[in-house]
Amino acid sequence: MPIYFSEHEVVLPGQLLSDNGKRSGEGTYSVEGKVYAARIGFATVKGDKIHVIPLKGVYKPMPGDRVIGVVSDVKPNGFEVNLGKHLTGIIRIPDKEQVQNMRLKVGDAVYVKVKSSGLGGVLLERDEQIKKFESGLLVQINPIKIPRLIGRRGSMILMVKKLTGCDIVIGKNGLIVINGPSPKNEFAAMKAIQMIEEEAHTSGLTERVEKMIREIISS
Amino acid sequence: MHSIRPRLINENGLRVDGRRPDELRPIKMEVGVLEKSDGSAYVEFGGTKVFAAVFGPREAHPKHLALPDRAILNCRYHMTSFSVEERKPLGMTRREIELSKVIREALETVAFLEEFPRASIDVYIEVIQADGGTRTAGLTAASLALADASIPMADLIAAVAVGKVDGQLVLDLCDLEDKYGEADMPVAMAPRFNSVVLLQLNGKFSPSEFKKGLTLAQKGIAEIYRLQQETLKKKFSASRPMEV
Repeated sequence: MPIYFSEHEVVLPGQLLSDNGKRSGEGTYSVEGKVYAARIGFATVKGDKIHVIPLKGVYKPMPGDRVIGVVSDVKPNGFEVNLGKHLTGIIRIPDKEQVQNMRLKVGDAVYVKVKSSGLGGVLLERDEQIKKFESGLLVQINPIKIPRLIGRRGSMILMVKKLTGCDIVIGKNGLIVINGPSPKNEFAAMKAIQMIEEEAHTSGLTERVEKMIREIISS
Repeated sequence: MHSIRPRLINENGLRVDGRRPDELRPIKMEVGVLEKSDGSAYVEFGGTKVFAAVFGPREAHPKHLALPDRAILNCRYHMTSFSVEERKPLGMTRREIELSKVIREALETVAFLEEFPRASIDVYIEVIQADGGTRTAGLTAASLALADASIPMADLIAAVAVGKVDGQLVLDLCDLEDKYGEADMPVAMAPRFNSVVLLQLNGKFSPSEFKKGLTLAQKGIAEIYRLQQETLKKKFSASRPMEV
């Protein structure tokens, strides 16, 4: 089965990738049994599928994702949660009294799980699955860069957590909450996250982030 | 106001700006020029200079316009007051509203809008200097900006106009040829599948002239498409995949 690109090559919309239409994965489309790229990104083969990993983009909700949102409306039968950029999630609670008992206000940041996403909109899990943030810094980064922020088996985020002593909660939609022992540590963690977002595509990043955090904390 | 009609093709067969009949104007393209937008492009076709910016996918406003199964595409083609010789009043004229519509419909054929339900994607095309062929330059820039914004799309769109001046078919009309020529036909295509996404005709073509004109346009479009690909590759070739 021939493929028409080299691994990690930058491909453009409409570029022919393969002659086998069944290999169409994320970021590609197939027409008449051929696979073409649908967006700018790096073409890779994973399993038997061809994917295009985009350089920038928006979050696409998947069931089971843990996301962070800001309550944007309180309704008799639930809450509306803004998930950053263009997405609004809905928490449906049939019991009116329960809605009041939850004591969520407009502007509260919550940690929730996506139940389903489709024609009915983005539905979020209710009950124990909702965690409200009492304090912390809310930071937004491009959701595409989240895997880099977490790093291989969580190495990057563990390093940031350890050095700054902050508790960092990451939502898959690109929103992050930082809770730390002092404003200085929180600031260091925020700077580190922004640095990782900006320089996600460079190598030797872990060392540079480590150096920067140490500089901020010791200053 | 009556001016004397200039000679558009001289005795050597060259046009007013010294081009051969099947020659494009010098083209300049750049992507990622506007910082605040999600994707942007700047395109120059000789004296025609156009900016395009893409915002989104973002929440659709007003909310009742949002569609449950796909994104809406908004498009605004606008000529700045200083883009033409005599100051153009502010606001959208009848012509600009129409061009916004045809450009939007051309972009809708390639963009995979169903990827972003309930959202809106806004495309702004701003002509800062007009010298003929602004809609084709605008569409070329808009498709570059969409690609830059990482909106999934089937193909880039390249566009160029063909026309008839002094009885001869010419490619990529400038303002003078547009004004005094006999016909003007802007063509936009998605070259990968050879599909025409925009075609308008002002003036008269015989059936054989139309066919010849379309082939001439295809030739120009192939060249513009190549430039678009080069521009995008150049911007993103420096980036490397994330090490995860």
